[in-house]
Amino acid sequence: MEYFLHILVISGIYIILTLSLNLIVGFTGLPSLGHIAFACVGAYTSSLLALNYGISPWIGLVIGACIASIFGFVVGFVSIRLKGDYLALATFGLGVIIYAVSKNWVELTRGPMGLPGIPGFTVPGFELRPVWAYLMLVIVFVFITAFIMNRIVNSPFGRILKSIREDELASLSIGKDIIKYKLMVFIIGAFFAGIAGSLYAHYITFIDPSSFTPMESVMVLLMVVFGGMGNTKGAFIGALVLVIFPEMLRFLGLPSSVAAPLRQMIYGLLLIILMIKRPQGIIGKYRF
Amino acid sequence: MFNQLLLNGIISGSIYALIAFGFAVIYKTVRFFHFAHGIVYTAGAYCAYSLSISLGINVILSFFLASAFSAVLGIAIDRLVYLPLRKNNASDLVFLIASFGVFIFIQNLLQLIYGAQILTLRTGVVKEGHQILGAVITNIQILILVVSCWLLVILWFIVERTKIGKAIRAVADDPIGASVSGIYSERIILYAFGIGSALAGVSGVLISYETNIEPTMGMNAILKGIIASIVGGMGSVPGAVLGGFFLGIVENLGIWKIQAGWKDTISFAVLIIFLLIRPEGIFGKRNDKERL
Repeated sequence: MEYFLHILVISGIYIILTLSLNLIVGFTGLPSLGHIAFACVGAYTSSLLALNYGISPWIGLVIGACIASIFGFVVGFVSIRLKGDYLALATFGLGVIIYAVSKNWVELTRGPMGLPGIPGFTVPGFELRPVWAYLMLVIVFVFITAFIMNRIVNSPFGRILKSIREDELASLSIGKDIIKYKLMVFIIGAFFAGIAGSLYAHYITFIDPSSFTPMESVMVLLMVVFGGMGNTKGAFIGALVLVIFPEMLRFLGLPSSVAAPLRQMIYGLLLIILMIKRPQGIIGKYRF
Repeated sequence: MFNQLLLNGIISGSIYALIAFGFAVIYKTVRFFHFAHGIVYTAGAYCAYSLSISLGINVILSFFLASAFSAVLGIAIDRLVYLPLRKNNASDLVFLIASFGVFIFIQNLLQLIYGAQILTLRTGVVKEGHQILGAVITNIQILILVVSCWLLVILWFIVERTKIGKAIRAVADDPIGASVSGIYSERIILYAFGIGSALAGVSGVLISYETNIEPTMGMNAILKGIIASIVGGMGSVPGAVLGGFFLGIVENLGIWKIQAGWKDTISFAVLIIFLLIRPEGIFGKRNDKERL
């Protein structure tokens, strides 16, 4: 039971990541392959603040998300000049850079040794240490994120995002400042990814660079594409199915040296089949 | 110290140039980022390991067999994954994502077969290198330099001077025009994948004599290959080669004053600077910029 709740917490964190990437990729049509880097920034910021200065994780979470959105601004700046696979590659590159920084700036991040003993969230008189309590917290954050994303994409602002996705020149020609919108999208997306990162850090209580490898960003993109791009419900489906389903491999009794690569192979194969058969995902409204 | 770093830069540059050459030849004909090129490189190294260490086949023979295997693997990826996508008229991004899928799939297949531990093709003790102008170079490194430069010259000759190369350039310039004049573009794509993937395999085998083999080695290699191609100018084969050497040298001189762990950061900084300031690369033509 404990284990099942743990899987739900992890999928909740992935749902937040998927929802925020869906805003960038699915609704605005900007292929971003560096999403996990924002989560990395959020996780390290709030963990370091809690470990070194004793700052409450609640405040750390907000500060981490804000720092992540500064990085989102930088990535968005790159996205102004690039399109298509060049943008995908540049964002992937920024993800590699952040990963390298977390691994090599040993004085700050302790490098591959990681940061152990990160304190958990507390509400007055109670520490959210049991898994069920943390699950409640994550569910609250998932619903806040889903609510905000829904409000964004159904507002006039969201319609402009979709118009940028469908035809950038046309939206420019009706006087929309697409540069501003692209920057905004990356800032918002990075903000929520930062929240997901710090939720992860305070849950696992240990982070090291290996949780934020660049390939993890491809996994988040797979979740977005699998569920369906440009659809908030799709983000839920993608994250839940792709986190829970491979866990079943565990019950086949395979040793972890077999189960781990097998799981990745399924992801890879799924990505290929999806691209050939259904590039818009299960209930997607947009395809690359 | 400077000479040593420069020499190291040229050696890693020659490997990057080989990878970038193959990547650029493939890119020329199909016009998308064949990310799985990196996994062909890894598979080539593992194939050579199986042949020469596990089966004890002669080193030179296993070298050729491994590069042939890589060529077949590259062609198989094209037939099984990219051909259906071409039929669907998929966009570049769909190709790129599918290519990531191939990469993840084969990388983990290799990990399943060989395990995650580090292997090497080296047998016996490492001999001390030769002194040249204050820099040390080992026999293996001389071999890498000689083989890669020789291959680059031969392949440059194939691409620039033979009929196949002409057909590849024709498909690159104008696929429809090429097919009107009787060039069967699917066959040219096949050649491009064969040549490019064989090169990836060769560079994988060469590097395995110098460093180690591990399932994750392909990632770094293909990223460097792509960066070299972009720096040199996308779709320009001589540009990719020069970009490879440029990247290798910049990366190695960059770690003169800072730790070696920052190498990748340096090359991605180079990429992002180029993408923002000169996206068409050193040798790219201005009209290539339309695609950006």
